[in-house]
Amino acid sequence: MSARVGQKAPDFQAPAYYKGGFTTVKLSDYLGKWVLLCFYPGDFTFV
Amino acid sequence: MSAVADKYATLQELGAEVLSVSVDSHFVHKMWNDHELVKMVDGGIPFHMVSDQAGNVGRAFGVWDEAQGIELRGRFIIDPDGVIQAMEVLTPPVGRKFGETVRQLQAFQHVRASKGTEATPAGWEPGQPALKPGPDLVGNVWKVWQPKMER
Repeated sequence: MSARVGQKAPDFQAPAYYKGGFTTVKLSDYLGKWVLLCFYPGDFTFV
Repeated sequence: MSAVADKYATLQELGAEVLSVSVDSHFVHKMWNDHELVKMVDGGIPFHMVSDQAGNVGRAFGVWDEAQGIELRGRFIIDPDGVIQAMEVLTPPVGRKFGETVRQLQAFQHVRASKGTEATPAGWEPGQPALKPGPDLVGNVWKVWQPKMER
């Protein structure tokens, strides 16, 4: 399944760092809210 | 990501949540936050920093770079129904412009609030007239919108 505009975002579950702690994020837990999902090449890169 | 964190309050006011994703582990996210980002953003990163070490999330969203083993700069606006409304993917050396993301979010929220009866023309910003697609608008867009209106 590949992401396309106008179609459901692929759901995922993954570990995360959040305000000093470790947690798990599940995209479908955010249904009912607008979500800005931002990928980037890596931590400690310059841009 | 510090650029988004710095404007996080704006997104919260718009009812939007942020999730950042990279192939770094959540342990490295913590180190980056604690040792560098906290020097750019008061209190550090206010949103969840997701770890996608195997690249599975990136593959699902089409931003996985197989050759480099990293994720491209992909930004997705997902609506409350879980539908992707916008996507923008950049190669690594160029950063995103936060203001354009906010403008698109506001435009999609405007369209959603109108239950799809309105559309926003090029460069639309909140407060400007939107378009009401229908038979009367055919051939008459020039009466309500001109290219010079785009700021």
